[in-house]
Amino acid sequence: MAMSKRKRAQYIRYGQYGLLVVVAGLVAVLADWGQIRRAFFNTDIAASMFPNIITVALKNTILYTALGFGFGLALGLVLALMKLSTVAPYRWIATVYIEFFRGVPALLVFIGIYYGVPIAFQVQFPALTTVMLALGSVGAAYMAETIRAGIQAVPKGQVEAARSLGMSASRATITIVIPQAFRIILPPLTNELILLTKDSSLIYILGLFREQYELTKFGRETLSRSPSLTPILIAGLCYLIITLPLGYLSRYLERRTGGKKVSVL
Amino acid sequence: MSGAAVEITGLCKSFGPLEVLKGIDLTVLPGEVVCIIGPSGSGKSTMLRCVNILEEPTAGKVVVNGTELTDPDVDIDSARTKIGMVFQSFNLFSHLSVINNLTVAQRKVLKRGEKEAQEKALHNLERVGLSDKVNAMPAQLSGGQQQRVAIARALSMDPEVMLFDEPTSALDPELVGDVLGVMRQLADEGMTMLIVTHEMQFAREVADKVIFMDGGYVVEEGPAADVIGNPQEDRTKSFLARVLDPIHHGPSDPE
Repeated sequence: MAMSKRKRAQYIRYGQYGLLVVVAGLVAVLADWGQIRRAFFNTDIAASMFPNIITVALKNTILYTALGFGFGLALGLVLALMKLSTVAPYRWIATVYIEFFRGVPALLVFIGIYYGVPIAFQVQFPALTTVMLALGSVGAAYMAETIRAGIQAVPKGQVEAARSLGMSASRATITIVIPQAFRIILPPLTNELILLTKDSSLIYILGLFREQYELTKFGRETLSRSPSLTPILIAGLCYLIITLPLGYLSRYLERRTGGKKVSVL
Repeated sequence: MSGAAVEITGLCKSFGPLEVLKGIDLTVLPGEVVCIIGPSGSGKSTMLRCVNILEEPTAGKVVVNGTELTDPDVDIDSARTKIGMVFQSFNLFSHLSVINNLTVAQRKVLKRGEKEAQEKALHNLERVGLSDKVNAMPAQLSGGQQQRVAIARALSMDPEVMLFDEPTSALDPELVGDVLGVMRQLADEGMTMLIVTHEMQFAREVADKVIFMDGGYVVEEGPAADVIGNPQEDRTKSFLARVLDPIHHGPSDPE
């Protein structure tokens, strides 16, 4: 008596559920719950992190990300326009920049700007400027490609209508094309913001004052005083406070714009 | 001849190896309505787009109201403010409300004050019968309404010549009449108009002159009643026969 394919698939599915129940049961019985709670949810350590993790660390993470994003967006727009320029050397410069900064680790850029630039040029940037330049110059490379794709997704007829009304090429770009391009790329741009939020943790390698700590550095510093995973977990949850809503926002915007896909690259 | 609104001489346009216009001569007098008809690919839209230099002519001269637009030293942006253009696909600025579609170029190009631009816009919206859509976004309008807004937008610049590039080709049949009605009213008011169209009835009734184009040439031109009612050239005859009575003609023979 051969079992039908559908019947067999059903039994296999039941088997999977059974296996899960057994494993979960074993873990519940064998695990040292006291140890786990001390490691992950040490309430004393968690309590000691407040309110500074919010008022200092979370605030700084948002501040650093905003600075980097603002600078990156401005530079990214310039790069996108250079990449679409009719002047060939502009295109070359933009391409080299984008390929370089997308191809090297962000950490290397941080080190270069914080440790390399002072040695080479005898200029020491304050931490805030370093973060803005480093996060911004990496973010710009990614955003430039997104913005370029957005500009190219604006229908040609929009420019023709603008030009036929007497607008110059640059006036049409500023007044008509760029506002429409940003509407199109709002979802991918939100994703860039999420990536940048996480990359802001790289400031960790810089020498900072206590009041300049962001989430990762704050978590690491608490960890060195309290041998528990709790600080890392709390810091992680704080990142999620930023990134989860942004993720939902991005998906919502994508649905609202009809999921119009913009090809990046 | 110096009184012509639009004067085109020896106009040629190639896209790479493809010769689209092979020497067009055309004169439009002030207040004249000229309809350009012909099969697709005949170069009529390209010709129209050469009038405001949206397409750069390969050779020849285009003079609009005494300004030679093919002169490389001419300020083309300022010249275009006097030439309104209406497109097949409307091309309303999708991020701007109707009123802002009508004021943006007045403000940024003609440097008109906000109040003057608004008044001009409202006046022209009234002309096209859409006073109640001032604050609507383009996506909320039907095709016919969008095209009428596009006409009002062009009129808000106070143009001396209006170019229409198949203004009703993208419309549902029942909306065509609204747009043609606005165009007829414009013609009656004495606007100089160049219209690329497939609406033979409109051309016959409204046009002072009809141009039939095929293969990059003007094949026949003259009063509407002559060109449409009593064509002399074989190519005009066979085109009109297919357009006016499509179900009694087999597939066109390739030339």
